Amino acid sequence: MISLPPNERDLHAYVDHQLSDADRHQVEIYLAGNAEVAAQVRAWQQDAQQLRAALSGALQQPANPQLDPALIRQRLKRQSRRHLASAAMLLIAVSVGGLGGWHAREMTLVSPPLPMADAMQAYRLIAQQGMLPADYQVSDDGDMQGWLDRYFSQAHRLPNLAGAGYKPVSGRLLSTEQGPAAMVVYEDQGGHKVSFYVRPPGPKNFLLPRGSRSDGELQAEYWSDAGYNYAMVSPSDTPAAQILKQTLKF
Amino acid sequence: MNNIDGQLREIIPRLRRFAVSLTRNPSSADDLVQASLERALSNWSAKRPEGDLRAWLFSILYRQFLDAHRRSRRYARMLEFFTGRDDAQPSVERTVIAQSTLQAFDQLNTEQRALLLWVSVEGLSYKEVAEILDVPIGTVMSRLSRARQALRQLSDGEITRPSLRRLK
Repeated sequence: MISLPPNERDLHAYVDHQLSDADRHQVEIYLAGNAEVAAQVRAWQQDAQQLRAALSGALQQPANPQLDPALIRQRLKRQSRRHLASAAMLLIAVSVGGLGGWHAREMTLVSPPLPMADAMQAYRLIAQQGMLPADYQVSDDGDMQGWLDRYFSQAHRLPNLAGAGYKPVSGRLLSTEQGPAAMVVYEDQGGHKVSFYVRPPGPKNFLLPRGSRSDGELQAEYWSDAGYNYAMVSPSDTPAAQILKQTLKF
Repeated sequence: MNNIDGQLREIIPRLRRFAVSLTRNPSSADDLVQASLERALSNWSAKRPEGDLRAWLFSILYRQFLDAHRRSRRYARMLEFFTGRDDAQPSVERTVIAQSTLQAFDQLNTEQRALLLWVSVEGLSYKEVAEILDVPIGTVMSRLSRARQALRQLSDGEITRPSLRRLK
């Protein structure tokens, strides 16, 4: 219960409808007999009223679809998948680097690290084991090249393997020790997969002469241009591996 | 989930209005709203079940704004350090005779704008505002009182000066 005369806080609370009915009544009786205070209170009420009116237009803005909660949920989900994926990629980097590092103790002077080992690891993880979901799937109107161009400007065009029955189906961004990488998976009717892999040459600008090597059951064709290192990976001793060799002769 | 999204959709215009009143710029306002919604949705468990959703979202947005503001001030200082000039300073100082409530409102400081919007326009309770600002209710009331006096003076057309005018 407030006491009379009302103090300034009581008056603000009155303006803001934050008093109990009884207190409100008290204040009204008081204001009826005190013109000066009543004028002050009226001025505050008017300011509030005008502010409400002036700001009401701001509620009528056309909706911004970017702010729709469903879309934001989707974005958040994708982001958390990406975080998970970079955690997994860190594992790859560690396992590639770790293995390399171990051998490197003996072999540093003998041989440089195996070219594009990360491309082969990524192939195992994504194309063979299906461990990481794709960031981008080609739908009917999909544009894989466009997706890739968003991340790698002026990179080598995606090789056209349509003649051999292979089409790009999905893309995935990865983080590697050499920088961000992308892998595009091609698939044929029979579900056979080959990958196109692109990443920067790394801080040491380690460019590769055109080459080919196999590692376990996989085979990689690799090369560099001025901007990036590339690899195409497929299972060895398959028609696909032959096709890659043929296709990449240019 | 759909129920929550429905509630959010109803509040979004209010968030955008609040964000505009803070940033004074519609497109950065929407960025602010987007960042706040992302934060709200990923920290949904931090919301108290009985608390008012609108007040909770206002508080997230307000904090995000203050953080961004602090960052941009730091950035401006850094820029100044490297380039030797202060790009963040408005080119023309705003010495304005306030003619309308809205112009007067725009001249208030950040917290005063937020307070008046929450209380006078959105009708939040003092208690909710106290929780957003993390201060006692009494403090909310005295700051509100100062904000109202300031708005009154500015609306009356008094000439104001930027209180922190830089001497060059």
